[in-house]
Amino acid sequence: MKNKVLLFSAVALLLLSGCSQKKPKPANTIAGDTVTIDEGGVNSQNRFNGSTDGMKSVFFNFGEYDLSYDGQQTAAFNANVLKQKLGSGRVKLEGNCDEFGTDEYNYALGLKRAKAVKDSLQAQGINAGKIVIVSFGESNPQCHEATDSCYARNRRVDLHLLR
Amino acid sequence: MRYLIILVFALQAFAADANMKIEKDVESRARIALVDASGSAAGIGEKFFSTLVSDLKISGHFLPDSTHHRGSMLGNTIAPSLKSKDYVLKYTLSQSGTLSAVIKLYNASDATLIAGKDYSINSTAKFPFLAHKIVSDVNRMLKYPEVNWLNRYVVFSRYTGAKRSIIVLADYTMQYQKVVIKGGLNLFPKWADAQQKSFYYTSFNGVIPTLYRLNIYNGSKTRIASSQGMLVCTDVSNDGGRILLTMAPSAQPDIYEMNVGSRSTRRITTFGGIDVGGKYLGGERSIVFVSNRLGYANIFKKAIGSNAVSQIVYRGRNNNAVDANGNKVVYSSRESHNSFGLNTFNLYLTSANGSGTRPLTTTGVNQFPRFSTNGNAILYVKQYQNRSSVGYINLVSRQTLLFPLGGKVQSIDW
Repeated sequence: MKNKVLLFSAVALLLLSGCSQKKPKPANTIAGDTVTIDEGGVNSQNRFNGSTDGMKSVFFNFGEYDLSYDGQQTAAFNANVLKQKLGSGRVKLEGNCDEFGTDEYNYALGLKRAKAVKDSLQAQGINAGKIVIVSFGESNPQCHEATDSCYARNRRVDLHLLR
Repeated sequence: MRYLIILVFALQAFAADANMKIEKDVESRARIALVDASGSAAGIGEKFFSTLVSDLKISGHFLPDSTHHRGSMLGNTIAPSLKSKDYVLKYTLSQSGTLSAVIKLYNASDATLIAGKDYSINSTAKFPFLAHKIVSDVNRMLKYPEVNWLNRYVVFSRYTGAKRSIIVLADYTMQYQKVVIKGGLNLFPKWADAQQKSFYYTSFNGVIPTLYRLNIYNGSKTRIASSQGMLVCTDVSNDGGRILLTMAPSAQPDIYEMNVGSRSTRRITTFGGIDVGGKYLGGERSIVFVSNRLGYANIFKKAIGSNAVSQIVYRGRNNNAVDANGNKVVYSSRESHNSFGLNTFNLYLTSANGSGTRPLTTTGVNQFPRFSTNGNAILYVKQYQNRSSVGYINLVSRQTLLFPLGGKVQSIDW
């Protein structure tokens, strides 16, 4: 008798659990918290806005990466400075652009400008192996005004000695 | 008789409101009303409601009632004033440690319960994702084409000063934003996988640019490559095994393809000018890209492994941004002839063979076009009248929504 009661109870429990109202299952939404990392940044200080070490920035016309006459003169000036100061170090050429257009295209444009200055320095006797070139696109403006003169100031290549 | 309704909402405040422009026959969209059965939920009740309404609109499948109806979840009753709708979505939002929501979707006419679901999310700040998930699920419950792109993270980089930037994760409305990388100059984020667990980005914190891949959940960072000049990941194959790079190891910017596993690269373009922004076309055996080989930035197509290059776009004098999804191509075209005049960049939709071109925008500076994963929506960034916004165009319903975006975006992906 006792076994029958236990069996009946077990069956009843099974039936009742099966009759319970189904609850909607919770959705899987966002898969957890995301991180924040701090890269610090070697160049976090704006020490390199414009050329340094006695050298001058080379400027360019809108959308162009050929050296103008003035640009060639400036490159020649910089070559003379480098012949005196370069020694065993290297020189870093940083190409920059104004704000027009997408940044990726502008990074390429800035790079072409830096390459043009590199080629000019090479032609004047600076060893290509001592020249590093990087483009900073729109990321390093010298000014922010929406004026022709400001746009022109930002279309440039800066030069810095690396020691 | 078909009625064509055009609604234009002017954006008055630069806070959380959205610009919306609808140009489409609306008869086919389901009319839906929202009934809020919540108590106060950490003061986000209005924002949550507005997010649900925006999501329903941009899905292209609904005409949501913008009235914030209040009611109860008890019983299956529908207010008489709502019986003229097609559907009623009742919901409660509550906060107790986590943010929770319960929804019930009804046929408005007879109060038949279609479906119900529970949700929870571990942070109140992430409430937009809760709303997005609800709408994408409602969409699925009613068997409409999927709009899962609502749930995706947007990742973007923004300059914070000269040679300084941050990389931010956000929901598509920009209400949720979290800085994921800070310090130094880190740019060009690009999702590395469909699940959005990692993204590629370029660090300029060393002497030369370096490409990394960051896992956003555990912070693990993998160095992929370094290159003089520039280095940008512009596209990722569907299986994540190959990436397209704009790279300049010899100071010559060209497009390369890298096998992520072996790190081997092959050069795809060889033009001596500027070739950037490569994107895979359907099948991933050819690409579209931006090149100045005609003397100005324009859009071209090239099969990987072939030397032949074909021009896709034959209008505009400066087309400097492109994205592709399958056979669809979207690009940004400059439409001001005066180099220093008021600039207008408009988006155009075309195809890989250049046919079927139509404009998607008409005013402002519209850049960074990015297709959704299913190719039915386009994200872009708009600058207009000193306001910066992120915009979404539903290509099927031709709706556009804009959300305020503080600061100038350097690059964006979703």
